[in-house]
Amino acid sequence: MNRMENPLAGVKSEKFRQVGKPLIRTDSPTKVYGTAVYAGDLTMPGMLYAAVLHSERASALLRRVDTTRAKELPGVHCVLTAEDLPASQGVMTDMPGQTGGMTKNTKQPILAKDRVRFCGEPIALVAAESVAIAEQAIGLIDVDYQDIDGVYDPFDALAPGAPIVYGDDNVVASYKIRKGDIEKGFAEADVIVENTFTTQYQEQAFLEPEAALAWVDELEVLNIRSSTQVVEHYRAVADAIGLPHNRVRLRAEFVGGGFGGKEVMTIEVWLALLALASRRPVRLVQPRERSFLSHGPRHPFNITHRTGVTRDGKITALQISFTSDAGAYAKLSPYILLYATVGATGPYRVDNLHVDSVSAATNNLPACAFRGFGTMQANLACEGQMEEIAKTLGMDSMEVRRRNFIRTGDANATGQIIRSAVWSDQCATQALAALGKRPENSQTTRIGHGVACYQQSYGRILWMKDSSEAWVGVEMDGTVVVRSAVADIGGGQSSALAQITAEILGVPMKEVVVYFGDGAVTPLAGTSTASRALYMSGNATQMAATRVRENLLGCAGRHFSVEAEELDMNDSQVFVVGDPKRSMTINDCVKLCAAEGVHRHNLAIFKAPTSEGIDPETGQGEVFPDFTYGAHAAQVAVDIETGEVRVLQSIGAHDVGQAINLRAVEGQVEGSALMGQGFALCEELILEQGQLQTRSLSEYLIPTSEDVPKIKAIILESGSGLGPFGSKGIGEPVYAPVAASIANAVTDAIGVHIFELPITPEKIVKALRRKETVG
Amino acid sequence: MLPSFELLEPHSLDEALKMLATSEATPLAGGTNLLPDLRAHGRAGRRFISLAALDQLRGVEHKGNRVIMGGSTTLNDILRDPLMPKAAPSLVSMAKVFAGTMIRNAATIAGNICYGSPSADAIPPLLSVDAEVTLTSAAGERTLPLDSFLLGYKKTAHQPDELLKTVAWTIPAADSANLFYKLGRRRGDAITVVGVAVTVVIESGSCSKARIALGSVAPTVFRAKEAENILIGGPLTAATIDQAALTAAQASRPIDDIRASAEYRRHAVHMLVRRLLTQAWQTSGAKQHD
Repeated sequence: MNRMENPLAGVKSEKFRQVGKPLIRTDSPTKVYGTAVYAGDLTMPGMLYAAVLHSERASALLRRVDTTRAKELPGVHCVLTAEDLPASQGVMTDMPGQTGGMTKNTKQPILAKDRVRFCGEPIALVAAESVAIAEQAIGLIDVDYQDIDGVYDPFDALAPGAPIVYGDDNVVASYKIRKGDIEKGFAEADVIVENTFTTQYQEQAFLEPEAALAWVDELEVLNIRSSTQVVEHYRAVADAIGLPHNRVRLRAEFVGGGFGGKEVMTIEVWLALLALASRRPVRLVQPRERSFLSHGPRHPFNITHRTGVTRDGKITALQISFTSDAGAYAKLSPYILLYATVGATGPYRVDNLHVDSVSAATNNLPACAFRGFGTMQANLACEGQMEEIAKTLGMDSMEVRRRNFIRTGDANATGQIIRSAVWSDQCATQALAALGKRPENSQTTRIGHGVACYQQSYGRILWMKDSSEAWVGVEMDGTVVVRSAVADIGGGQSSALAQITAEILGVPMKEVVVYFGDGAVTPLAGTSTASRALYMSGNATQMAATRVRENLLGCAGRHFSVEAEELDMNDSQVFVVGDPKRSMTINDCVKLCAAEGVHRHNLAIFKAPTSEGIDPETGQGEVFPDFTYGAHAAQVAVDIETGEVRVLQSIGAHDVGQAINLRAVEGQVEGSALMGQGFALCEELILEQGQLQTRSLSEYLIPTSEDVPKIKAIILESGSGLGPFGSKGIGEPVYAPVAASIANAVTDAIGVHIFELPITPEKIVKALRRKETVG
Repeated sequence: MLPSFELLEPHSLDEALKMLATSEATPLAGGTNLLPDLRAHGRAGRRFISLAALDQLRGVEHKGNRVIMGGSTTLNDILRDPLMPKAAPSLVSMAKVFAGTMIRNAATIAGNICYGSPSADAIPPLLSVDAEVTLTSAAGERTLPLDSFLLGYKKTAHQPDELLKTVAWTIPAADSANLFYKLGRRRGDAITVVGVAVTVVIESGSCSKARIALGSVAPTVFRAKEAENILIGGPLTAATIDQAALTAAQASRPIDDIRASAEYRRHAVHMLVRRLLTQAWQTSGAKQHD
């Protein structure tokens, strides 16, 4: 295996004893046995139950919110509206968990005051002695709305005279890239291919809706135990309420799915306010119907590609425009648009490039972070365009890709030089090959094969100046403790730290306990977002464990009168390499350390590379630490009479740098295959005039177990990543190409491209009819 | 949130019928329609009568060429009945794709019929075998064809004091085919976009009887009788089949909703009826040659 130089790889051995193996994750048994505790399982004596009143109107003035009847209901302890809130009146929704400056004023009212901007905006909070009473109280709150003109389409929102939802002009963010000489590039092109792609709202649909418990403890500390991806929200809660940061403690419980939906704060600040007002513990588990309104779904995008290409398939110029619907509040829309802009060219080298992107506010649901964070929408257009270019040129689409793939050392869309391995070709080739032979078409069924490649960043935007801390220590009995405030959102975030530590300290993984997710007592690790948890906390843990190892081996070396380099650790033994008689147990070694007054623990901080931003006129500059590359291939069967699509095979091939836990990586590939299939074929939040039409999981259709195709994960390891042992981020990357590969497979099957997701049976039938008519 | 409701729990059929006669209450079997409805937009304080303890309403009896199915028979019971693949092939095909396993364990045949939804998957297959329903009340029993039981959108001949006791039909003739197809937006737990059941009976190389029952394309599940008549009295040529399928599509009165447009649904009826009739003709024809 071609392993590139990685300055961060701390362990001398190329061969791992535990890293990369499919070991049982530390969180698996408790989840399998059903003993894992989630935020919604927590109870406390005297606990009250919360309920939230969400706006029924998309654009209206709030003339009056009368809580008199609700307050009079027996069992109701507290009813809060905007009138009752502290002066700050808002909660920060900019990039959470960061100390760096904010780029936009992204404060969102905690509760609507005077005006509601989307259907679902929170208006009032109730805490009562039972869920039933709280719900009844919600029903007794009288809201007098006066509808005002709204705007429900981003293009309408940008037109002159549009009702204003945000700022002066509804522009939430805009970016541009000006690179090379686009006129010259188009002049060099033999053909120009232009297409517009659109994507829909996608709901995270995590198994566990928003859930949290809050109370004020005996030290006057406001405690919140929550289902969140971001422990550092304690600061935003404190700022919103006007408490000092050290009086808010946020603990992230095991999370039953986040996917970005629990990145920006959801319900924590509501519970904080209710707990402070009632002086009782208060818990809320959002019912599914309100969960849909309590976090931001994926942004709908409209993407146009105008590509100049030579007869032999080389891209000479590319002009791209993005328009995304931000909904009623900014949330993370500026950053998501930035990700799309940086990812505009996918995994391809384009020297002459124009990108213009804009995110517009409307009275729709505020969209926010969702696995892929704008990159996957950009990628979908890129990969669809590859097929269209190939069709125009009469070439194989993989050949067009090969002639344009970005390579190590090339500059990407923003001029950032790619330093890690780019194995797009290997991944795509292997994924396609794994599909095997095509089954025969039947009279009414057409088989299609599709592939898509991608470029997806991992780690946060460089000017966020990201860091993560971790603590590793060895107990006197030789067992190991890791402390990290990393949120474990189900991807094995805490387990990976155990596996890394076990490798470095030579103990079985079951001897390592990871205390995680506590903003007060575990070292802050940053968010479990941006495919950064393993990269950042893995590196911090690797650093801390390596230093503990150095301390232990130092003591053992003095004991055996050898240099530390001559020692190794395995199976809870410290031993002289090649001289097994000279060994001691890790317990004895730790005791030596204690006797010598040598630290048996270490607190390390890992700091990501940083930059100062991009040039606003050219969009040029370093934006991300690194990127992951790979491919997904799909085989579909399309019924050409009814338009039904069945995904038969779904294969992800990715260069993960280095797998830490092979099963966990495969799990990410498998989950992404289904999530991407849903995005490609059936998932869509439908809004009409801002009103959600798909209000439950019987209307919002995620794939079920019956829809699962044959899924395969092909894991490649270049060792070139910036994460521990050369690993790369993988949570989002594996998802990036899935929908595009399915869309391309459908195109391959029916010979006509559907540019608008989701690809419903109806759209297929219509497209086939048009094809027949046009001939 | 699920609003509070009152649940009466009779221990015998007589007790249940008495309760139905004297109190305004809705029979609750699997609850797979009623409970989501209640959760979505129900008011508090509704009264239900649980049928859970009434074992005699559950089970399938095969008597000669008659099949008598208790109203509380679940969709998964249908799949467990070894004689059902012969007794009503379309019903078995339907039960396999009805919602998902958890729902099939709870949902009952009577519940699916009496809820009266246009997308009730059990109804097209039962219409395709000319099923009859027997309703019982404290005042007595009555039996009527399922076809005349269905009156309109969520409207049936079921009276507030009645329980659907049994569904019964005659096993299709040997030289016949009985098929079902469900078109949904996903494979599991889907609300049907178009449901089609057909029966074709062949005698001496010509079609002597045909049934075409359609779900989700009109206010209620219905039989496309004009289309059925086109098929009677001759061999089923491609042209005849297409004409019947087109007639069935024209007889549909679908709506636009979040799952599909009316136009698409009509198109799908045309395609699926044509496909099922073609298959039916081929398979029943094959049986004749055996």
